[in-house]
Amino acid sequence: MRPGADGRDDVALLRSVAGGDEEALAALYDRHAGWLTVRLTRRCARPDVVDHAVQDTFLAVWRDANAYRGDGDVAAFLWGIGIRRLIDAIRRDSGTKRWRPWRSTEPEVVVSAENQVLVGIEHGHLGQALAELSPELRAALQATVLDGLTCAEAAILLGVAEGTVKSRCHRARAALRTALADQPRALTHLPRNQAWETP
Amino acid sequence: MTRIFDPPEPVAGANRHPSADLLAGYADRGIDEVVAWSVEAHVASCAECRTTVSAHVDGERLARNRSVLLALTAIPDGGWGWRLAWRCGIPDHLLRLVAATSSLRRSWLLAVVGVLTVVTGEAVLVHHLWPPGGVSPHGASAAGLAPFLLFGPLLVLAGVAGAFVPALDPSYRLAVAAPFSSLTLLLVRALSALVAALVPVVCAAFVIPGPVWLPAALLLPSLAVCALALAAVTAVGPVRAVVVSGVLWAVPVVLLALGRSPLETVQSHGQAFCAVVLVVAAGVVFIRRDRLEMGWAR
Amino acid sequence: MGAMTVQVEGLSRRYGNIRALDGVDLTLERGITGLLGPNGAGKTTLLSVLATINEPDAGQVSVFGLNPKDRAERVEIRRRLGYLPQELGYHRHFTVAAFLDYVAILKEIVDRRQRAQEVARVLAAVGMERLGRRKIRTLSGGFRQRLAIAQALLGRPELLILDEPTAGLDTEQRLRFRELLSNLPGDPVIVLSTHQADDIAAICPRVVVVLEGRIHFAGTPAALAETAKGHVWTAERRDERAHMSWRDGDNRWRHIGDRRPADSETAVPTVEDGYLLLSHATGTR
Repeated sequence: MRPGADGRDDVALLRSVAGGDEEALAALYDRHAGWLTVRLTRRCARPDVVDHAVQDTFLAVWRDANAYRGDGDVAAFLWGIGIRRLIDAIRRDSGTKRWRPWRSTEPEVVVSAENQVLVGIEHGHLGQALAELSPELRAALQATVLDGLTCAEAAILLGVAEGTVKSRCHRARAALRTALADQPRALTHLPRNQAWETP
Repeated sequence: MTRIFDPPEPVAGANRHPSADLLAGYADRGIDEVVAWSVEAHVASCAECRTTVSAHVDGERLARNRSVLLALTAIPDGGWGWRLAWRCGIPDHLLRLVAATSSLRRSWLLAVVGVLTVVTGEAVLVHHLWPPGGVSPHGASAAGLAPFLLFGPLLVLAGVAGAFVPALDPSYRLAVAAPFSSLTLLLVRALSALVAALVPVVCAAFVIPGPVWLPAALLLPSLAVCALALAAVTAVGPVRAVVVSGVLWAVPVVLLALGRSPLETVQSHGQAFCAVVLVVAAGVVFIRRDRLEMGWAR
Repeated sequence: MGAMTVQVEGLSRRYGNIRALDGVDLTLERGITGLLGPNGAGKTTLLSVLATINEPDAGQVSVFGLNPKDRAERVEIRRRLGYLPQELGYHRHFTVAAFLDYVAILKEIVDRRQRAQEVARVLAAVGMERLGRRKIRTLSGGFRQRLAIAQALLGRPELLILDEPTAGLDTEQRLRFRELLSNLPGDPVIVLSTHQADDIAAICPRVVVVLEGRIHFAGTPAALAETAKGHVWTAERRDERAHMSWRDGDNRWRHIGDRRPADSETAVPTVEDGYLLLSHATGTR
């Protein structure tokens, strides 16, 4: 956040945006655009496409801040819009024609359950198994499981055919099952990493 | 990837933060992907780490996107009508041009509705005071239709005039000095003004007591009058073109109203004549479309 | 050389019996040129010919090597043009951003995002970033003029034609305007008109004096001031021998005449003095 930034919390800002407060939108942008840009860049390396997605995300929030139902993290709400806008931007960029979306925002992607699993994952056997997957299989898993995209959307994000996404997910899950076959306790205990500090 | 295995222990999550290096690596894509997944999962629900990550993004890039965002929000959306048209595939820039047409302003449309109300009310009144029947089936109530028949197409003409009369476009000189095709501009505005004016006129025709084909009958005359005005613009000035076309419509209506039945202007002969005028005028407009370019005039 | 300048030769145009322009020859280079002259001198007509709005009765015009008589070349000129007309009108209901968006479309910027970027850029250039959503009719005169300047800057024109751009601006705004013009990207050809000599002195490295449809001076402001050397003096009292007299800021009388009397105090001639002398010589004052 920049110095002198808005002190209101995210939900209050969203409510102000719903009321037409442009300053609140700017404050929301200042707070969230940075990490959103980083997270989207991890899905798509093209900076101009990511820029468009970020602009469209906050534009969608401006147009329909009421889509936030008050449940869950505002950051997750923004991410749900952001990833879908990124897919739209990629689709536009690749020139494929399609019907434009009726609603300007879509329901937020719920990833909190997976989040718990993923924190500290690099140290468990699940993490090791994931690391042993080939990058394309991992990317397919990330798109469908972490980002909660449909196979069609994941196909656009990854730039492959929908069938390819499906088969990659299938192979990824099979490989994980094999790798974890003799590690039944992988998910229940995850060791602490020295690189993580307690504040 | 280094792995330090401590005795297993449940993940606390909330009060454990990745180190600054780890966050930097996450932001710059410099760390292992699986580690990145777990960092991302934490960052997704931790405001403090989000701020740290944000600091790694180029400030100028963020500022640029911010100003584009604010400009995008400042440009009015246009409401459901525009969005519907956009979804049907009409390019965004043409829709925004329509928004600049004076003929689509609420005040103008209210004036149109006002005039229509008056002539419709008059026709209804005449119809009730002097019901049809007797000597001629259309008789007196047909005479009551005369103002409506006169004003209907004239109102449409006035709306379309807003598309090409320079005096009605406050920033006319900017449009002249700009590269955008004046013909496209004119046609986009004229078409939208035409539709915007026709709708209330046709609706009024449904309300008015008269022949059941009255609403449809007004289409061709309105189109013909407007096409005539556009064709005339290629020869004389815009204001004169509008006046001439308006008069060319008004005179027959008035004469026929004074004589027999004003409805003849919109019956079969009248319709055929209007159709011919429409086709000829459209042809003239097409052939002389260079003359519709604004500016560079003596 | 021709491809980077704007040239006008023997330009004439009349409105009825009035000769608005009478055989004007002019070359405009990159940088700022000021047209100085009273109202009705022909400045606006000249600028509107350069902006391809009016066709001249006679003479040649060449804008970056393009001839506006040819239709395709005329459109090409308009692509490189930014024009600020005198007393620009606005649609009553427009907001600042909506108006700029409209002009951007007229300049053939079709992509919505690119338009937003341009709108943001020009608003920042004139210091109106936060006023995007204001309705134009709620703006004061000074801000409206800034908006008018902003629309001329859309699309990064190579030829910027500004008709009375400083009208309605206060001193501070004029300073910002000068700064703005000096910092434009791409070093365009800029021509602006004014009837105030101090604008010229402050803003323009080159000045052209237009009187009664003709050009009477073309050069630097310093050179224009120099033409009044020996013709300007100050005194305690009004001097009848002068052509023109007025009280200056020190409460002395300033005079311009044929020859400075030997017994008077010299005054350093200003751009305005040179201009007034020229106006008098041509009989317009």
